[in-house]
Amino acid sequence: MTRSKRAGFAALGLALIAVPAIAQVDFSGEWAPRFYEDQMERVPGPELGDYLGMPINPAARMRADTWSASMMTLPEWQCRPHSADYIWRGPSNLRISKEVDPVTREVTAFHAEWLRSVDRAIYLDGRPHPPAEAPYTWAGFTTAKWDGDVLTTTVTHLKEGYMRRNGVARSEKATLAEHWIRHGNWLTVMTVVTDPVYLTEPFVRTTDYELDLHQQIPPYPCEVVREIERGKGTVPTILPGKNPFLNEFADRYGVPFEATRGGAETMYPEYRKKMKGVIGKRPPQVGGGA
Amino acid sequence: MKKFLMFTTVAVAGAIGWATLSFAQTPTPQLKVFPVRRNVYVLSGAGGNITLSVGPDGILMVDTGLANMSDKVIAAVNDLAETVATKGLSGENVAPPHPIRFIINTHVHPDHIGGNAKLALSGKTFTGGNVSRNLNEGAQIYAHENVLNAMAAMKPPAPFEAQPTDTYHTEYMNLSHFFNGEGVQIFFMPAAHTDGDSMVFFRGSDVLATGDIFTPGRYPIVDLAHGGSINGLIEALNRILEIAVPEFRLEGGTYIVPGHGRVTDSADVAYYRDMTTIIRDRIQDAIKRGLTLDQIKAAKLTMDYDGIYGATSGIWTTDQFIEAVYKSLTQKN
Amino acid sequence: MKLEIFRRTAPVVAIAAVLMLAAPGRVAAQGRGGGGPPRNAKDVAPIDLTGYWVALITEDWRYRMMTPAPGDFPNVPVTAEARKIALAWDPAKDEAAGNQCLPYGAGGITRMTGRLHITWQDDTTLKVEADTGTQTRLFHFGAVPASEEGTLQGAAKANWEFAGGRGPQAGETARGGDLNVVITKAKPAYLQRNGVPYSANAVITEHYDLVKEADGVQYLIVTTLIEDPMYLARPWQRSTHFRKQADAAGWDPTPCALR
Repeated sequence: MTRSKRAGFAALGLALIAVPAIAQVDFSGEWAPRFYEDQMERVPGPELGDYLGMPINPAARMRADTWSASMMTLPEWQCRPHSADYIWRGPSNLRISKEVDPVTREVTAFHAEWLRSVDRAIYLDGRPHPPAEAPYTWAGFTTAKWDGDVLTTTVTHLKEGYMRRNGVARSEKATLAEHWIRHGNWLTVMTVVTDPVYLTEPFVRTTDYELDLHQQIPPYPCEVVREIERGKGTVPTILPGKNPFLNEFADRYGVPFEATRGGAETMYPEYRKKMKGVIGKRPPQVGGGA
Repeated sequence: MKKFLMFTTVAVAGAIGWATLSFAQTPTPQLKVFPVRRNVYVLSGAGGNITLSVGPDGILMVDTGLANMSDKVIAAVNDLAETVATKGLSGENVAPPHPIRFIINTHVHPDHIGGNAKLALSGKTFTGGNVSRNLNEGAQIYAHENVLNAMAAMKPPAPFEAQPTDTYHTEYMNLSHFFNGEGVQIFFMPAAHTDGDSMVFFRGSDVLATGDIFTPGRYPIVDLAHGGSINGLIEALNRILEIAVPEFRLEGGTYIVPGHGRVTDSADVAYYRDMTTIIRDRIQDAIKRGLTLDQIKAAKLTMDYDGIYGATSGIWTTDQFIEAVYKSLTQKN
Repeated sequence: MKLEIFRRTAPVVAIAAVLMLAAPGRVAAQGRGGGGPPRNAKDVAPIDLTGYWVALITEDWRYRMMTPAPGDFPNVPVTAEARKIALAWDPAKDEAAGNQCLPYGAGGITRMTGRLHITWQDDTTLKVEADTGTQTRLFHFGAVPASEEGTLQGAAKANWEFAGGRGPQAGETARGGDLNVVITKAKPAYLQRNGVPYSANAVITEHYDLVKEADGVQYLIVTTLIEDPMYLARPWQRSTHFRKQADAAGWDPTPCALR
């Protein structure tokens, strides 16, 4: 090869090597949820009547007030997984894997699967969402795009679910957006739920996971059995105005009952003025530690 | 003939896989065809949902939509049949598809039987020998005998061509032979939406067409005048849950085509069953406490579900639903 | 001869030149800067954090909107030493000693209810004011003044993290990124109102990310990772979210309070 050709190819090679990568982050890995926020609500479970900080409307309040936990014993619900918006908060380990296009070598999808749940595909390949007639699922249908190093998702076709595991429902008319952020070994996801049926404002939460190289997520076969003998077609419910448990949370934790009823007002700093001077109570089962 | 059928399937995450196929036709703004599974499709926009089995044996329709949509439905069904026969490829040299051979009515309402006459006449029954009647003219129409009785009792009676050619009065009937590779069963659901409700189960495709027993997106219509009842309707919803088998984690598996609205599965029916049962129980409790109908309406016992199912105008309002449940629970016998 | 060389290499060099122009990060990566004055932190900011931000208290409500009971800290992986201190917490004693502001230190301030007002104090210092507790935090992209060591907000060293790992060159706009702040040498204080401590040796690492919804609403997500072997059994991270406000509505400077 002549000197001139070598110089030319060197210049070309230098240019190609130095082309910057598209802003992307690898979210794949084994992620362990960290319950450093709302530990009691997310792990053992929320108390009945705890709607603190939720921008719910009267319809949502009524739906939650009349919810009976015994509903979960029905065969139709025993094996129901948390839906895409709630599962980030639940006590389940997460595995994220990725699909890579063999030709372009681009990541075309992430797959998020939690313990006790279904595979949830997050498509980055520009495909459209299904038509309105398509079935709805627990995971919904998700497409995503990059905003710098943040992955922003749009989720449609979500089955009805819940925003908290004490009966605060989330309707199938809701939309969900997420923002996935990774800093080192920490994954932070913001979920924004907008529900015209049950919320007066978007409900925003941020949840953290830590990379766990040794995590193994086992299968979780769920078998539907007859848990409770009850009359055919019985659906457990509490009649409106007849829930005897709604004051328990407020009494146990020393929270003013009015605050436990939730509503957008309880989300904003101004509400602190109503809480000034209030020191909570600590039930025996609530402790502190790792 | 201008083809106006848009035929589209889209991939969905999880255990449910949908192939992506779309090819250009001139779309009708009102009618849409959505593939459910294997040979089963749903055509929407002609009134109630029309479930179709389309394949080498011909076409079986569950319901026929509104009368004034019949021409469009016929065109859409024929286009679908041709698309299926040619696999969507133009220039394919295949035999013309077999026509509409069977119509099954889920119940007597005009948005489900309105197209009976035209659709049946556009079809054909293959028979011969000494079989009576002009069975080589038009498709057979199956329904529960209460549908025939109701159509005959209309003032004026429904046209002869629209009336069922075959009825049943037992708990169920099966088509006497496979159709497009699978067994087809018809289940009678007494005193539900009406007194002549049938659900049609495509056993191989695992698809259940329910008629207006199940209508996600609105409160169930209990047609008291036609023998419907809230308890019978709840019983029917529970029966759907007995038939349906989810694939994994309570989703997918048996697909349920409702009378109106999107394709669903057993979890969607379970939510609907829960809502209907809970509201029934609330109204029953209110009746026991001696509340009048007006007081029950004022008590807003459905408020937590109104945002999903309720309406203040249109063909079925929340008040009408409450009234129907009240009357169903208080009527003698 | 020279002319002949030019003719043969010209096409290759031309291609290389086009690619170089299309690869904005390359020049900097190779260490060959373009012309112009050095760019400061404000100039190269990949995101605009300035403005008023309101906290949305949708998580840890009992710990943020009110004072949790002594001993109520299941969220915190404390060491035995920290547990002893936290269980002994007495708000009256702290108030008498003038310690009302201890929950508003660098380790706890983002969890307080309230609003933030973020501005540039100068081209290399971002100022974050919190109305609750009337706290001011200074994030230094340059040297951190020694006077800030030992204060409630500690010594905060900031730097931008650019999306894709490469910063913009002269004349370019960054393609996104976040603010990274490492705070050390803060005065020992509380992680939450009921006296759960962190030590002077705590290292607090924060990231400030901006996200925008389809309807234009902006959110600020602050992740706070605290490493404090004296009082925390393991690294401890929380994420806090704020919504952008159009103006200063609701800005309400309020003194520190333990209850």
